[in-house]
Amino acid sequence: MNALVDTGPAVVMPSHLPAAPHARKRERSAYLGMAIFLGTWTMMFAGLFFSYAVVRNDAPTWPPIGEPRLPIGLPALNTLLLLGSSATLAKGLKRLRTGRATAFPGWLAATIVLGVLFLALQIHVWLSVSEGGLHASTGIYGSVFYGLTCFHALHVIAGLVILGAIAVPAFAGRNLTARYNLVRLSAMFWHFVDVVWVVMFVTVYVL
Amino acid sequence: MSTHDEAHDSHGGGEHEEQHIHPEPTSFIRKYVFSTDHKVIAKQFIWLGLCWLAIGGTMAMMIRWQLANPGKPFPILGGLVFGASGGVVSPASYTSLFTMHGTIMIFFAITPIMIGGFGNFCIPLMIGARDMIFPLLNALSFWFMVLSSCVLVGSFFVPMGAAAAGWTNYPPLSVNIGTPGLGQTMWVLGIFLAGTSTIMGAINYITTVIRLRAPGMGYFKMPLTVWGLWLTAILNALFVPVLGSALILQFMDRVLGTHFFVAGAFVKGGGDPLLYQHLFWIFGHPEVYILILPAWGVISDLIPFFARKPAYGYKLSVFAMSMVCVLSALVYGHHMFTTSMSPLLGQGFMVLTMIISVPAEILFLNWLHTMWHGAIRTPPPMMFALGVVFVFGLGGLTGLYLATISTDLYLHDTYFVVGHFHLTMAAAVFLGSFASIYFWFPKMFGRQMNMGLAKLHFWLSFIPINVVFCIMLAVGLGGMQRRLYDPSVYTTFQSLQSLNVWISRFAYLLFFGQVFFVYNFVYSIFRGEKASENPWEVGTLEWTIPSPPPHHNYDKIPLVVTGPHEFNNPAVLKATGRDWIAQDVPIPGDLPAESQSA
Repeated sequence: MNALVDTGPAVVMPSHLPAAPHARKRERSAYLGMAIFLGTWTMMFAGLFFSYAVVRNDAPTWPPIGEPRLPIGLPALNTLLLLGSSATLAKGLKRLRTGRATAFPGWLAATIVLGVLFLALQIHVWLSVSEGGLHASTGIYGSVFYGLTCFHALHVIAGLVILGAIAVPAFAGRNLTARYNLVRLSAMFWHFVDVVWVVMFVTVYVL
Repeated sequence: MSTHDEAHDSHGGGEHEEQHIHPEPTSFIRKYVFSTDHKVIAKQFIWLGLCWLAIGGTMAMMIRWQLANPGKPFPILGGLVFGASGGVVSPASYTSLFTMHGTIMIFFAITPIMIGGFGNFCIPLMIGARDMIFPLLNALSFWFMVLSSCVLVGSFFVPMGAAAAGWTNYPPLSVNIGTPGLGQTMWVLGIFLAGTSTIMGAINYITTVIRLRAPGMGYFKMPLTVWGLWLTAILNALFVPVLGSALILQFMDRVLGTHFFVAGAFVKGGGDPLLYQHLFWIFGHPEVYILILPAWGVISDLIPFFARKPAYGYKLSVFAMSMVCVLSALVYGHHMFTTSMSPLLGQGFMVLTMIISVPAEILFLNWLHTMWHGAIRTPPPMMFALGVVFVFGLGGLTGLYLATISTDLYLHDTYFVVGHFHLTMAAAVFLGSFASIYFWFPKMFGRQMNMGLAKLHFWLSFIPINVVFCIMLAVGLGGMQRRLYDPSVYTTFQSLQSLNVWISRFAYLLFFGQVFFVYNFVYSIFRGEKASENPWEVGTLEWTIPSPPPHHNYDKIPLVVTGPHEFNNPAVLKATGRDWIAQDVPIPGDLPAESQSA
């Protein structure tokens, strides 16, 4: 058995491909897997938005009579924060790809700060709405509001954990150029969370 | 073992991923427990699934016992399981039993055996890969299934017992008012974890088939098993998350006190119990095809293998399976005809449902055409495959009455429905699983199962399973509703009681017939006759390597030049004297391999 180990690549690669085609193919597979994963998660959020559409369609008025209005200013600011975090992450990723890895930790830090700010503001919104008398258990309006935004916030937390895991070596001064693909896949997740938020902002707060 | 070094080296398919040979782990834990080898994970899934199958089957026996002998203590196990009621199945336990029977069979028996087990075993071997593309994710998928199994087992031991809202888990039964207690919440959590496991598997399967097919293995050279499993994975990736969203909302309703599924009068603005049914069946209808597609794929291969003929209409079969997948997403409303949906909408769902018979019929005719004028061999895998064709035909035909609104209004929630879905997704998948186990057992364990016992097992499964579910159709036509604790107390159903007793008798026969399988399976793993490389004389790639395959499957990734079912090709017969040819061997007289695969 051991004689078979490490005998090198079994499939001989065609010579016209550029260097290290193996790594590039692994990257493409990982990218595909991530895309499929985000597709499945899109279906999950689609199910939640579908539910929102159904209960809203059932309700004679929306918001139901007697329920407080949701704020719009702070959530709008939050939307900008999250979009900004996507932009900074994209910037950082571009630096990493083009070989200017020293600029990457700064952009990553900006992304994480914006993400944490988003969460802080979101908690503030929950608390103020809760003080205004809207609770998850008081009616369907509260159920939709807290249910959808809390579930999204869990994804922001997951995204921050992933970015944090990248930040540890990045802030320790390690050059992450070799881990570019890992960073890119994490960024895909972060952008996904942002896009979901934009849809949530428009449906839950604006419409 | 046949490889074609020259053709291999000059092959120029740039899209094929390079796969290193990793050393086989040596410690027991890494080799058999926390393994990332797809063959080990497949066996783990199959063991898990078989254990759950036994538990779910025992529950079915308890249900049948109560229906045949209402109020009598259940023999042997009764005192242990239903101690509080003196061994008698109490109404509350009965509700829990049919709930958990359905849940266990669907999410913890069929899914692990066919999708987790044979999906893992067959996909890399049949497409000529060394492993799944994400081996760690694969192992994680199995361990999530174990975790969710633990949650489900635990739910039996909490106050007020396991879930009891039916496997469909409809509100208002499934909200806190209908079924209080931790058991129902643990059900929600357990199914969510099982769904997570399934999604992980699906991502892996889809990517593996796209990225790791051996050079020359075009999509239309893949065995139909792989097609079935791949389409299953796509459906899983798309629709299990929708169940996930329903479970998240239900979890919030039960734990955080939200009101998504709580009916209107108590709630400002109004939650909607029907919303759950929509979400559930958007997932649920694709799910029934998720359960049957792997079995369809497997028997679409087994029939040409044992009829010694190329599959009739291979591409048409692929097309039919794909069409079924597309249509399965568009017909969920037929589960909800009695929820006062708009008649126009109902008719749309009815027509779309009826259209599914077209691709299903294409598959069916392809199977029959494949056998037509074939030199049929009938070892146990083929017997089970033919059994699938029979019960699926029967189940499919009864589906027409449930798809038609006017007949469904009468048959809805009767034993006719129970008979129908058991024939299609229980009996067909049950027989399909055994077809797969008997067929791939030699490759998995390097030994053969006993053919005589296997044939006995077939008849003791095939006859009772048909009798049980066909009588259920008749009882349902007589009007008996499903989920009744004791039908004999209703004057209307007293005339049906003797039929109920007969269903139970044949159900016991079915249950005890499985003893022959259990004995055969366990005995053969250790003491079975050594199997050769290719005992069934078929040409798909997994049969070109030793049984059981080495850790890395293929010493050299094969170059595929031939279709999966090239039987009785005159050129091959003339050149080799055999009626089959492996997928990595060119047919004599054909163009050289490299110009074929270009």
